[in-house]
Amino acid sequence: MKKYILITVVITGLTSCFTLDDNLFNKSKLTEYKLDNYSGDVDFHLDNSFYIQDTMVHLFTLNSKATDESNATTIYALYIGDISKIATDTVIMYCHGNKDHMDFYWQRAKLLANTKSKNRFGVMMIDYRGYGMSEGKPTEDGLYADVDAALKWLKSKGLSNDRLVMYGFSMGTAPATKLSAESYSMKPSKLMLEAPFASAETMIQDGSGLAMPGDFFTTLKINNAEEIKTVTQPFFWIHGEADDFLNIDTHGAVVYSHYSGTYKESHRIPAAGHSTIQTTMGFQPYLKLVGDFITQH
Amino acid sequence: MRTNILLISITTLIYACSPGRYVKPLEKKQQAVNVSLGGPLIKYGAATIPIPFLTANYGYGIDSTLTAFGSANITAALFGNAQVELGVTKQVLKQNKYIPAISISPVLNIIYKNKDAKKLYPQLAINAFWEYGKHKNLIYAGLDNWFELSSKRAYGINQPNHWIFMPMIGHSFNNKKWNFNLEAKIIAPNISNEILVVDYVTPFKTHGALGVYFGCTRKF
Repeated sequence: MKKYILITVVITGLTSCFTLDDNLFNKSKLTEYKLDNYSGDVDFHLDNSFYIQDTMVHLFTLNSKATDESNATTIYALYIGDISKIATDTVIMYCHGNKDHMDFYWQRAKLLANTKSKNRFGVMMIDYRGYGMSEGKPTEDGLYADVDAALKWLKSKGLSNDRLVMYGFSMGTAPATKLSAESYSMKPSKLMLEAPFASAETMIQDGSGLAMPGDFFTTLKINNAEEIKTVTQPFFWIHGEADDFLNIDTHGAVVYSHYSGTYKESHRIPAAGHSTIQTTMGFQPYLKLVGDFITQH
Repeated sequence: MRTNILLISITTLIYACSPGRYVKPLEKKQQAVNVSLGGPLIKYGAATIPIPFLTANYGYGIDSTLTAFGSANITAALFGNAQVELGVTKQVLKQNKYIPAISISPVLNIIYKNKDAKKLYPQLAINAFWEYGKHKNLIYAGLDNWFELSSKRAYGINQPNHWIFMPMIGHSFNNKKWNFNLEAKIIAPNISNEILVVDYVTPFKTHGALGVYFGCTRKF
């Protein structure tokens, strides 16, 4: 009997094929969104000059369904701006990073809502499934489906492709790049990536210091370095030179070099870390870069 | 992205931080099986923990100064990777009072998942050891060396590190049939850990990682 138990355990172990995919996602949960009243850790706080009126902040839910799913997942979304003007406004679709939720990224989204001038551009943000108050479990396909759900909503409000700007930060650069490169509900006119990663394989190689194949640990297909090759829209890349999480040379610079579309610009920010570009360079210089790219290219 | 993705990086260290296998060769025709558990220390939340990597090993004494061995990395198998180590331990110098015995262990570390995901790492460990007491317990210190043969990483980026060395110190409690082994190892003290996503615990702060291991050996 012992022999059979042992054999079963060994075979089960050897055929389990664990991957680290589930560990990619943070899955931070919330019971309510507090936005300006959020007291948890954030990367920075904006002063009152960046205040957004309550009437311009809209929290609502969307139904998101990946192609292989039978049921939709309810996710939470935030639109900063006048919904009735989406049909004529330019909108920044902000894809946040892996850490935490929309409360954590509220300051960043609010900052973008001050690009050029207050509420000059609409800003859309969602919590991916499993994040914040959004239901479900995070998956790679879910990331894309969730952002696409936001694009469907924007499209239903009259947004056209030429007024959609895609902005991704850190992990959010994956759906931002994917939905700019491939056919989804909308085709953004511009792509902006802040501290992008190249691929899961690069993370593994950076982490181990060795040239290890990514397949050893993950089945994730997330690969901005390859995806960016099919992006043709104007492309903006910004990255901190002191990024100790996603190295500027092994991640961001690779993504930037693989782009071969119509226009690209890069901004390597000295002394800035992974989450400190805005505070290192200053809010207004950052907004000027963002605004100039959106309006001039 | 930072918090949970650390597991991606720490798990890669499966492949670079198993404990030393045989510091002292087995007796001629003696066999042994060994299980070891341990890994690099990391900060995980408020705690400092070793990553629990598990390896199993079989050794055979070809003669009293040469032992052949093979190891399987159980943790790697759970990730669907076949990782084996094949090597020998050769004693090249006998102990002379306080002058330690010396052994060397050349090893081939082979990892295979599929035709596109496979690696071979040569290793060379050099150990100095002292036997003492009635049970011939063992104190040892050594240097394990890993060699990365690839010149390029993903997307054609130059592979910066080709030599990873790991100073180690350990103690083996012996009796007739069983050995119990404790080992500490500084993994890659020559490589910065500041751009890695994991908070490794190391005496060098910005470089390398500290690994701790426990091993249990049954001799036949």
